Amino acid sequence: MTPIMSALPFCVAAWLFAIGLYGIVTSRNYIHLVGCLGVCQSATYVLLLAVGYRWDSVAPIFYDHPPGTPAVDPVVQALVLTDIVVGATLTALLLVMAIQVQKRRGTLDPEELAPMKEQQAADACKGRVAEPQR
Amino acid sequence: MSLRLRLILLALSALVLVPGFGSVIGHIPGFGSEIPAYGELINRIGPAERQVANMVSAINFDIRGLDTLGEEFMLLAAIAGTVVLLRGQRGTDTADTAIRLPGRPLVPRAEAVTLVCRIFGPLIAVFGLYIVLHATVTPGGGFQGGVILASGTMLIYLGEGYAGWRRSVLSGWLDAMEGGGALVFTLCGLGPMLVGAAFMENLLPLGIYKDMLSGGLILIENLGVALAVTGGFTQLFLEFMEETREPAAGEDTPSE
Repeated sequence: MTPIMSALPFCVAAWLFAIGLYGIVTSRNYIHLVGCLGVCQSATYVLLLAVGYRWDSVAPIFYDHPPGTPAVDPVVQALVLTDIVVGATLTALLLVMAIQVQKRRGTLDPEELAPMKEQQAADACKGRVAEPQR
Repeated sequence: MSLRLRLILLALSALVLVPGFGSVIGHIPGFGSEIPAYGELINRIGPAERQVANMVSAINFDIRGLDTLGEEFMLLAAIAGTVVLLRGQRGTDTADTAIRLPGRPLVPRAEAVTLVCRIFGPLIAVFGLYIVLHATVTPGGGFQGGVILASGTMLIYLGEGYAGWRRSVLSGWLDAMEGGGALVFTLCGLGPMLVGAAFMENLLPLGIYKDMLSGGLILIENLGVALAVTGGFTQLFLEFMEETREPAAGEDTPSE
């Protein structure tokens, strides 16, 4: 096992995190941003599973193999499992926020949603026509 | 903030962080050489201590059950937030159809689709229950099984249409499952304290190794998680589908 090969899974995790972060920084759309966040999160799955892996080990389920067989780390698998479920619900929550932003402001571009621009839009709106109270 | 400024900030923070990342990656024990000692210990003593074959379930529901409790409430909070943000005044009316683009023809559902959904819906439900019930012996558990069960309800929508789906999947029941599951998990933690044991101490009979009903308290907590995940994910589907429904006359749109 060359040193490069043994560092490869961790480099994959770092790369996934980096491209996810790049996507978040350059994002022009909230839906795209939520997707990039998912890529960042995948990096944690790769990292956790790589930390807990060991060659010639079985899954940490001792049904077919007797207890005592070398097995991979069950702790990181439990972490990834709960991570995926919570990640899915949080993605749903973020997408709901995107829906509400689209409803209120009519755009999903973070550039257009800067707080100052909201103020300008509100001022322009007030000057032109009194908006009916909801 | 302009794109260029954002990229400069990213590059600056990368300059600070990348050496640290590189150093950490260089010092991690080589991939596949050894695993952390905690997992090794659990693998060694877990089967004998809990009579459970699936170590992942043993960690989630017993050894690190407290962490799963916190995670359970994160799930509850995220879904509650989704429902609060989306629902507004609607979500109780069940007779409406989903929204359609004007001008697009309404293609009637083929009988074959309904048939396939009616055959596979119950099969998926049984498979989900199987995954939930065998949490302690084979790969699976409340999280995985709950998601399968929730996906099965989508077949009702596919086969019976929106109104049929809303009639058979009741929002109130989903709320009860979601909250009830979290309550069951919490009570599993508090229950042992009534007899003087520690929080979430596994006092129930552990059963026989490799038996479906092994693991004692793990089984009940697993059931609670399955309830919460099934209810929660179905609730998510329902709320997003509701978002596509045309508001009925006189019905408030969600307040902005």
